[in-house]
This record gives sequence, C-alpha cells and structure tokens, in this order.
Amino acid sequence: MLRRGGIRARLALTLVAMVALTATLLGTGAYVFVETSLHDQVLRDAATQARFDLSVTVPNRGLPAAPTPEDIVDSGLRETFLQRGVDTIADVGSGEPVVSKPDLVGELANLPPDFTKRVSDGELAYTWTTIAGHPSLVIGGRVGAAGPAFYFIHDISAIDEALGQFRLALTVGTIALILVALLVAQAVARGVLAPVEAASRAAERLEHGDLSARVPITSDDEFGTWADRFNRMAEALAETIGRLEAAEAQNRRFVADVAHELRTPLAALVAEASILREHLDSLPDASRRAGELLVSDIGRLRSLVDDLMEVSRFDAHAEQIAVEPVDLGLLVRAITASHLPEASLVLPDRPLVIDTDPRRLDRILANLLDNAREHAPGASVAVSLATHDAAGEIVVAVTDRGPGVPRDRLARIFERFYKADPSRHGGSSGLGLAIAAEHAALLGGYLTASDLVEGGLRMELRLPVTGSLRHGDGMAIGGEDAIAAPIRHQES
Amino acid sequence: MDARILLVEDDPSIREITAIGLANAGFTVETAADGAAGLERFGAELFDLVLLDVMLPRLDGLEVCRAIRRTSTIPVVMLTARADTIDVVVGLEAGADDYVKKPFEVPELVARVRAALRRAGRGPDDADPLHLGSVAIDLAGRTVTRDGQDVALTRTEFDLLTELTRHVGQVLSRDALLDRIWGYDYLGDSRLVDVAVGRLRAKIEVDPATPTLIVTVRGAGYKAVR
Repeated sequence: MLRRGGIRARLALTLVAMVALTATLLGTGAYVFVETSLHDQVLRDAATQARFDLSVTVPNRGLPAAPTPEDIVDSGLRETFLQRGVDTIADVGSGEPVVSKPDLVGELANLPPDFTKRVSDGELAYTWTTIAGHPSLVIGGRVGAAGPAFYFIHDISAIDEALGQFRLALTVGTIALILVALLVAQAVARGVLAPVEAASRAAERLEHGDLSARVPITSDDEFGTWADRFNRMAEALAETIGRLEAAEAQNRRFVADVAHELRTPLAALVAEASILREHLDSLPDASRRAGELLVSDIGRLRSLVDDLMEVSRFDAHAEQIAVEPVDLGLLVRAITASHLPEASLVLPDRPLVIDTDPRRLDRILANLLDNAREHAPGASVAVSLATHDAAGEIVVAVTDRGPGVPRDRLARIFERFYKADPSRHGGSSGLGLAIAAEHAALLGGYLTASDLVEGGLRMELRLPVTGSLRHGDGMAIGGEDAIAAPIRHQES
Repeated sequence: MDARILLVEDDPSIREITAIGLANAGFTVETAADGAAGLERFGAELFDLVLLDVMLPRLDGLEVCRAIRRTSTIPVVMLTARADTIDVVVGLEAGADDYVKKPFEVPELVARVRAALRRAGRGPDDADPLHLGSVAIDLAGRTVTRDGQDVALTRTEFDLLTELTRHVGQVLSRDALLDRIWGYDYLGDSRLVDVAVGRLRAKIEVDPATPTLIVTVRGAGYKAVR
C-alpha cells in the first residue's frame, strides 16, 4: 500500500519521474534526428536531380526560347519525369501551366507566393507542402534566366508514414518503459523499506503487549545492527516484565493463600464471638469491656478476610456473573434499607428492569453505603436511581453531605487499601471501594467519585442500558419507552 | 427441645464451639471429626438432624450425605466454606436440605437447624391428593406420581411442588418460597430456590428445558400452571 507522502511513494515517484524524463528526451531526440536526416537526404537527391534536369535534360529537348504550353506537352518531358516517379508543373509564363496529372491543375496558385517568386527570380528553391492531398517536396527552377519554370513534385507520403510509425513506436515504448519503471520502483522501494516495515510491525506488537515480538535480522548493514539493538531491548523488556509479573502473581497467590488459611480459624472465632456476645452481661466488669472489643474486632477481621478473599478471586479471574432480570428500584430500596435505612431515596416512579447480576449490584451499593456511613458519620445521605438517556446509562448515585474528599485524593479512592483520610481508623478494610469498582467493571459499568461544591461526596455507579429495559411486570416493551418514561422524584 | 443432632466437623475449635452453642440452645449434640467416623456414628444411633461440613478428611461431606440419603430422610444441613452456586447445587444433588455458609454465627445456625427440624416434623397433610397436569401428589403418603409412575422427590422438592401446586396460577416470589419452604429469610440469596426448582423440573417436566408445569415469571418468581 502506497502511503501519500510515505518514503516508499516518494522513492517510487522519483525513480519513475527520472525514467519518464530520460525516455521522453531520448525518444524526442531520436525522432528529430531521424526525421531531419531523412528529409535532408530526400532534399539533397531531389535538388541534384533538378539541377541536372534544368541544365541538361530540358535544354536537350530542343525547345524554342519562349515555348508555348503545347511545346512543353509535345516535348514529352512530363512522361520522362513521370517515369522517375516525379510529377511536374511547367509554367511557361503564358497560358495554363502544363501538369503531369489532372490533380495538379490549379496547384501552382496554392504554392507559397514567396517560393514561386524566388523561382521566377531565377533561383532553385524548395518547399515542404501539401500538393493534391499528399505531403510533398516541391523543387522549382527556371531553364536559363528567362526560360520556362519547372516545379518537380516529390511525394514524401511514404517517408512521413514511416516517421509516423516511428513516432508511435517511440510513444508506446516510453509508456511501457514508465510502467516497467513503476513496477521496478515499487519492488525496489519495498525491498529497501522491508526491514523498516518489519521493525514497525514488531514495535506495534510490543506496544500491544506481545513481548515475544522481534525484528528479523536480514542483512549485515547498519539496519541489521539496529535490528539487533532493538531485539536486545525487547529481550530486556520482556525479561523485566516477566520478572515483575511473576513477582506480582506470587504476591497475589500469597494474599489468596493467607486469606484462605485465615478462614478456618476465623470461622471458629466468629462462632466463638457470637456465643461470647450473648453472655457479655454475665462477665465480670473487669473483663466485659475486653469481651465487647473482642467481639467487634472479630467482626472487623471477618470483613477484612472476606474482602481479601473477594479481591483474590478477582485477581484469579475466577468471577462469573449470573444475569437475571432485576427491578432496580426494588433492589436499591432493599439494599438501602438493610445497610443505611436513614438514607433518603429518589427512585423513578416506574419499574426499571434490566438484565444484570443482583448479587454484584448488592455488593457495589452496599460498599458505597458503608463507605458513606463510615466517612460521613451522621451526615445526610441520599440514594438515587435514574436513567441518563443521552449516555445510554443507568445512574445509581450515593451522595453524602460529609466532609468529602480533597480533589487531589479523589482519583485514588478506588485503589486498594487507599485511605483518603489516613487519620481515620474505621471498621472498613480499605478494600470496599476497590471491590465495588471491580464488580462494576464485571457488569460492564464503572464507578465515579466527585466532590460537591457545597461539601460532601457523590459516588455514582453507571451501568450501560443493555437494551433490555422492561416494565416490572415482565412484559417486554421497547427499551426506549422505558428509558424515556418520565422520572418522578420522590423522597422517602 | 431435646432433638439429637450429629455434628460432623474436622476443625476442633469450630466443632467444640458449635456443639456448645447447640447445647446452649437445648439440643443434644454428638460430634465426629471426620466423614467415616460421622457415618459410623449415624449408623449406630438415632438422630433428628445431621450438620455436615463439606470438606472432611477420609470421606467428604457430600459422600457422607449421599450415604445417609440411601437409608434415611433425616434433615441434613451442610456447612460450606464456599457458597458458590456450584457448591449449593452439588450439596442439594447429594440430598442436603439446606446449607449454612462459613463463617457463621451460632444463633444463625441454631435458627436454621430449628427451621429444618420444624419442616421435618411437619406431619402428613390432609388426605386429598393434589394434581398438576399428569402429576399427582399424595400428601398423606408424601409420594408423587407422574402418569402413574412413582417420582422420587427429596423432602425439599416435595414441599416446593406442594406449595406451588396449592397456589396454582399464582406467582410466588423467590423470597416467599424461601420463607415458606425453608422457613427463614435469606436476604438476597435466592439461588437455593432456583436450584431446587431446576431439580424439581428435571424430575416432573416432560422437557425440563421448556417447562410447562412450573414456569418462570421473569423478574417475579415461579408459578405452577395446571
């Protein structure tokens, strides 16, 4: 593929232009040379013959000093010249010129005037012209100073025809040469640039993460050296990345193993704490507070291990989604009621049903609510569900009026173990938002966080409208109807 | 309540504290530390309910459950560390009535055990048989026939079929079924119902892939169709 302005195109074009110019110059030169030589040859022969005829052949016929046309006809000169293939027009100054064939009648007047004047002035003159439809060489001269004027007409049709064929051959040859040059130029350009293309393909593969991409070393020149350098760089890159990946995988396996190993003792702790909690009142004062703290800390430990397990399942790509039709309004209401019942709700007044995984939605929304409860304690929290028609998205937003998060830290709050406020040691693992973001990605959506001008944090879960919006009664209707349905805001 | 419970669990701490919790709740608890010992114990004494850990040395919980099912309809509750759908399915396939996810709090486990015992203790119902298509349900004998052929249903499947048939034509939500069949409320965990319905269909529907007796109502639940 020739790219406009590409090196290959420029190389090819230059080569073709050079060939075209050379071929045209050579062809034109050759043609002009051949044409000139042929015409000169004809002219030279014709002039010699004319000079001879005017000084020898004509006078030998014993014409009177001032012959009449009839004298010329009777002399048989016309036939003599005709035998040599030369037509003649003889002008004796009076009466009709004597012509060697009927076509020539009146042609004398068509000859260029300066030519006929030079002839009548006694010169031997010539002209290239068309006589009776044929390209011809006309040589004119007088016998003696005042004798009759003879015009010898040499038909050069054959020569011109040959020249025409020569011209055609040259043109065709030049075009063919340019075409061949084009092909050759392409091939040459391709050959020259093949290593560059191979290298750019290799670089592209590297860019897309194929660390095994290498440049073939096909020559021993500067390019070969460069390719070798490139390959060594790729090798080093692959090695470093491989090492990092192995370390990362080991890390993740370690986290998964730790979480897994913690599970059994944790299960015992949870069961034990649940019994301890029921008997806290019967503990002596000295140990009751310790018992309370133990119970609540085991709760924290449990959520940390649960979150670690969840994170390692994501890392192992072991998560699968189970899609079913979900009435989002009902689900949002139920999750809010169980995680943060004091939050206000803004729901559309019509059922909004999409095909999604309700357990993941539960995890996402629960984590957002837990985050709001923990980082904006006592502040008002609003949960809303709406469709964003233009973006084709469904937006579930959790907005709190707490202290918010400084803008420079906002971008990092979905990172694992990131704490926007390091001084706060809440019950959360620091993994909740990271986990919520992973779940959102599995559902084809994403999470956003933004700070409010009036103070507070707004977290949004944005899910694609999958074209399966339905009314809650299970009747399938056009998705657009459901999206376009008016949304009435209600507080509860 | 002095029901006798067999607890098969390999971790000593979990086994001990669970036994204490169940004893505190008024149950008599016998324990075994591995699958083979548990099965031996089950064969030697009479119990009202079995609590089975899934991951057990020597003989795993699913094998123990299958072995128990060959001779008994005693309620079996599995204790599972992984509550993946696949575990739930496999557990129910093995004949378990319910599962409790680890880690669990003892009061929660006690509530589930009581619910399972309550269902098992439900006496034979009114004598009139129920019909759903070519399926006949004999409530007194707790047997089901399709075109006169006996269909072997587990206790849970039988209760599910009966509940749906009693409300034929009416949509029952997953939560309602959880409440009525399993006797407690799992918030948001309705896989138990889906799995049990799937297994029931496999036994009573002509073509389980296109059910005609128990149909799914998208976004709402299930209903029986006469």
